[in-house]
Parts: sequence; structure tokens; C-alpha cells
Amino acid sequence: MATSMETPVRRRITIDPVTRLEGHGKIDIFLDEQGAVERAYFQVPELRGFEKFAQGRPVEDMPQITSRICGVCPTAHHMAATKAVDAVYQVMPAPAGRKIRELVYSTFMAEDHALHFYFLGGPDFIVGPTAPAAERNVLGVIAKVGVEVGKQVIAMRRRLRELTALAGGKAVHPVLGLPGGVAKPLTEENRKQFQTVAADAVEFAKFTLSAFEKIVLGNGEYVDLIKSDAFTHRTHYMGMVDEKNRVNFYDGEMRVVTPEGSELDRFPASRYLDVIAEHTEPWSYMKFTFLKKLGWKGFAEGAESGVYSVAPMARLNVADGFATPLAQAAYEQYIATLGKPVHHTLANHWARVIELLYAAERMKELADDPEITSPKIRNIPTATPREGVGVVEAPRGTLIHHYATDERGIVTKANLIVATQNNAARIAMSVDKAAKGLISGKVVSEGLLNMVEMAFRAYDPCLGCATHSLPGSMPLYVRVRDRQGETVSTLQRDADGTVTRS
Amino acid sequence: MSINTRLLGLGNDILGDDGFGILAAREAGRVLSPSGVEVVTSCLSGLHLLDALLDCSRLIVVDTIVTGRAEPGTIYVLREEDLPGARAACPHGVGLFDALALARKLGLDAPGEVTIIAVEAADCLTVGGEMHAAVRSAIPKAVDLILETAAVQTLPA
Repeated sequence: MATSMETPVRRRITIDPVTRLEGHGKIDIFLDEQGAVERAYFQVPELRGFEKFAQGRPVEDMPQITSRICGVCPTAHHMAATKAVDAVYQVMPAPAGRKIRELVYSTFMAEDHALHFYFLGGPDFIVGPTAPAAERNVLGVIAKVGVEVGKQVIAMRRRLRELTALAGGKAVHPVLGLPGGVAKPLTEENRKQFQTVAADAVEFAKFTLSAFEKIVLGNGEYVDLIKSDAFTHRTHYMGMVDEKNRVNFYDGEMRVVTPEGSELDRFPASRYLDVIAEHTEPWSYMKFTFLKKLGWKGFAEGAESGVYSVAPMARLNVADGFATPLAQAAYEQYIATLGKPVHHTLANHWARVIELLYAAERMKELADDPEITSPKIRNIPTATPREGVGVVEAPRGTLIHHYATDERGIVTKANLIVATQNNAARIAMSVDKAAKGLISGKVVSEGLLNMVEMAFRAYDPCLGCATHSLPGSMPLYVRVRDRQGETVSTLQRDADGTVTRS
Repeated sequence: MSINTRLLGLGNDILGDDGFGILAAREAGRVLSPSGVEVVTSCLSGLHLLDALLDCSRLIVVDTIVTGRAEPGTIYVLREEDLPGARAACPHGVGLFDALALARKLGLDAPGEVTIIAVEAADCLTVGGEMHAAVRSAIPKAVDLILETAAVQTLPA
């Protein structure tokens, strides 16, 4: 369905240069003559200035620098940048170095997915989509799953984090990746620690999957909600796969499938600029990526539209399965229940648990690999640096780093495409649909905020949220406008939790 | 019983005003570290901060805040109870306060007393951005407040 926004109305939309709202998530809702929602727009604050900041710096510094731009997934930026630097120096990582990177990356993915499932997605699913707002928080999750399970989640996270530090050198900002490999080998003792934690992580992931089955799949209302039209969009999907089209977080080719599930494209990361392009809208600073082959046809679903999405559900849609047995079995059940491709945004929560299981199983495989303790961890680059692209599947979807350098390896051009950009068009569509489903008349209720938040929480948009400003939550500003573009009401929730209406 | 105080500087020194917490903590650390106060800085957020919150009895946090109701550079001294709405569900849903609440609920070794020293920030979104002059000028005041808070806290109960 194409956007219904007509040109004359769009012209009335202005972005107020209101600096005091800088850093707020913004929702603009346009009403028709009858007071029904014609279109809702959503934008999240976005980091800027990266390219300029990168210029003039040695490209081998980028893995450390970029790991500092995100407070949530430093390891994803570190790995994508490390892979880009490999490409700039035209060097293949030594086999053991490559395996150590993937081991650390799988550990990070397991940690992030576990936290997300229980504490970010948990308020919606474990506590329940219709529970009072006051209970839909981490304490509500603990009340539901119990203190013992909560302690297990936190303990598991801590052990995974400690392993990242063990191999990565520094827990928060890994200093592991170097062009052609890694900075230090894995000792036999390290391997044993990984093996022990990986075995426990597999058990933990199995438990999590069974908890999901019991709490969510066992509840008809939740399943109906997952499948409901309000949270469904038939778009294209993109994600990374291995040579057998199985989900891979660390390496492989990118694959794009149509809303019907057939392959539209399969390409190495270096070709990303041939496949995706960026569209800008007058109401947002954000760039919306789309598939070049199909072109930008507005915020539209279907096979003709260039809108695509990334993240766990998309990864499962582009793949034929998983390389590990337990994740594969869970994947088969998921497909049997929801079909394929899956178009229900909230299915991201389920897909995430399956990926948690895969990450844990993959950790175990890699830790058991005889080669992983090899001292040959690095191929020293010898070529003159030029240009390179690195890609990983971050927890929230495809993350691309692209650098060009002069012959000394000094960055001349830099580009980042983060997961949320890949998802931006679809997130905007989800918010629009949630608003249309909920609003009539001119007053915005707090129920709208919850519903809208639920629509985008499944994607976990992750840009400006990387900053730390207290209390770590995104302030939200909702503005309702009539057909003439006049503001008829607003609702603002600030960083300190205060809600103001006008 | 010994009192174990930690100063936690939050922020990101490559993101304009977001570097405030890091710089203020480093500055205050010059005085506090020799007197036994642990000084930690982090650019993580939400539950990823958990490790930085545990195993201390008193915690002083220095960070930025964007309320939109004060001039950049305005300093706030807050207790957890001053930000009751902060636990509202939100994207990335989980902030510092949720992490503290969770730690307590699970019986982990969470600080009993938390003081937050925050500065109103203008721009925390520009990579490599300059710090707003008023925010930068507020660092000495924040350092004084940190030292004052730490001094009060280290007095015997």
C-alpha cells in the first residue's frame, strides 16, 4: 500500500528547529477532516558527524574508536570495523584469528540477546502486552519469572561478559581485532573457560526457549497479537548467510528475499552500494535505506516496494536454517507455526531466542575447535591500503562499515550504515499502523505511547540512544496536527519521566 | 563497617556534551582516588552498566541529562527518588535506575545510597562535536559537588 500523504499536505510539515526537543524521539500524527489518522511519522535522534570525525585518522584506529560510539553494542562496531580494515589492507585473517573473532562475537551476541529477551522485550511479552504500564518494566519481569531465574540471567550475562574481556582484552571496548587477525592467541586455559561457559549457555538458551514457549506460545492472546494485522508488514528482508544459506552473524554474503520468500539478491558486502541506497524525507534527518533494484516507492509494503528490514526475524527469513542442531530444530518449529517468510514484527522476540541458542551452540563449536588455540593468529598485511567494507550481523541487524584511505592508511572517506537505518522505513510504517489503529479524535492518550513503543521496541531502534544521558531512556514527543497542519495537541515525556500535555 | 564509595562517570568523550561525566569524574578522581574512592568511567548504558553498579555501598554518578527545562550547563544533584518517572517503559527500556532496582530485587550487592550529579546537556549526538561552552564551564562546579558528596559520605554514620 503506497503512502497516502499528498504533496500539498506534506509541504506543510516543518521540522521545528526546537533545540530543546533535540534528542527526543518524535512522532508527528496528521489527522484527516474526520479526526482519523491520515499518517504518523516517527523519528529517533541520530548520531551525526561520523564521517568528518573519521577523516584524517589512521584506519586501524577505527575498530577502537567506533566501538565507543554505541553504549549497547560496542563489539558489533569493533568487528565490523575490523573486517573493513582487513578489506582496506586486502588481507585475509589467519584461520585461528578468524575463529577467535567469531568466538568472541558469538559470546557478545548471546549476552545481548539474553538481556534483550528478558529485560527489553520481557515487559511486553513476559509481563504481558495488556498489563498496566506500571508493571511493564524489569521488576515486572522478575515478578513473573521469579528471583532465581532473574539471578541466573544476570549471572549468565556476567560470565559471558567476562569471557569477552578475557579474549578481547577489555570488556567494554574490545581491543582484539587487528588487520589480518587478532591481538592475542587463545590459551588452552582460556579454551576450557569458553567450553565451560558455552555448555552452560546452551542449557540457559534451551531453558529460555522453553520459557518462551510456555509463557508466550502457550497463551492464545499473545499468539493472536503476534499474528495481528497491526504488527504485520509484508516487506523484503536482508541478512547475512553462509555458503549454505544458513544464518551467520560474523561472516558470509548478504542475501535479500522478497515478501514471498524468493531470493532477490545475494552479494558480498563490498557491493552494498550497488544494492541499497538512501532516501531522505523532509520531515526527518534520518536516511531511509531501500533496495535500489526496486527504487523508493514510499512507505509501502509488497514486492514492488524497495522497503526492506533487518534484525532477527529478517535473518531467519533470508536463511534456509541454522548450522547448529538445536537452533535448527527451534527454527523448524518457528516456521511451522508462523510460516515463511514471517511478516509479524513481534516475531522478532521469538527469532531472537532461537538466535540466542545458535550463538551459544556456535560458541561451543568454536571453543572445541582444535585450531582455535593455534599461535598463528595473524597475517601481517603487506598491500597498500585503499578501500574496504566490513559487515556483521549486529543484534539489531546488519551493520556496515566502509572506509577509503590514502596510501598511508589515513581515512579519507567513511560511511556507516547501522541496523536502525536498514529498518527505518519499516519502523515508520509500524508506528503509522499503530497510530491508525489506536487514535481517533484529537487527544493522544498514554495508551498510544505504550502501543507505539511496543511497535518499535521489537526492532529496538539504536542510534542516538547510544548516548548516555540520564536515565538512559528515550524521551518522546508526540504532536497531533489537523488537516491544515495546525497542532491540536501534544504529549511530551521527558528524560526524567515527566509527562506534559498541551 | 567500612564504607565503600564509588564514583561512576558516565558518558562518551567523543560525543560532544556527553563527555561531561567522563571529564568530571577524571578531574574529581585526582583528589578522590588517593583517598580510597574507586573511580570508574563507562560509556555503556542500561543493564550493560550493571557491573559498574555492584559491589559498592555508596555510589556517586556523574552524567548528562536532557530535561529541556533548563539552560545547558545547569547542574542537578539528584537522588533516585527524585526521578520517579524514569522507570517508565521506553525503547531500550532499561536505564540506570532499572539496573539498580533489578540488582536490589535480585539481592545483589547494590549500593544503598546513590547520588546523581547531572548537567543539562545541549548536544550529545555529534560524533567529535565540541562541548557546549556552558557545559564545559560547569565541570569545576560538578567536581566540587562530587567532592562534597564524597566527603559527606565518608563520614562515619
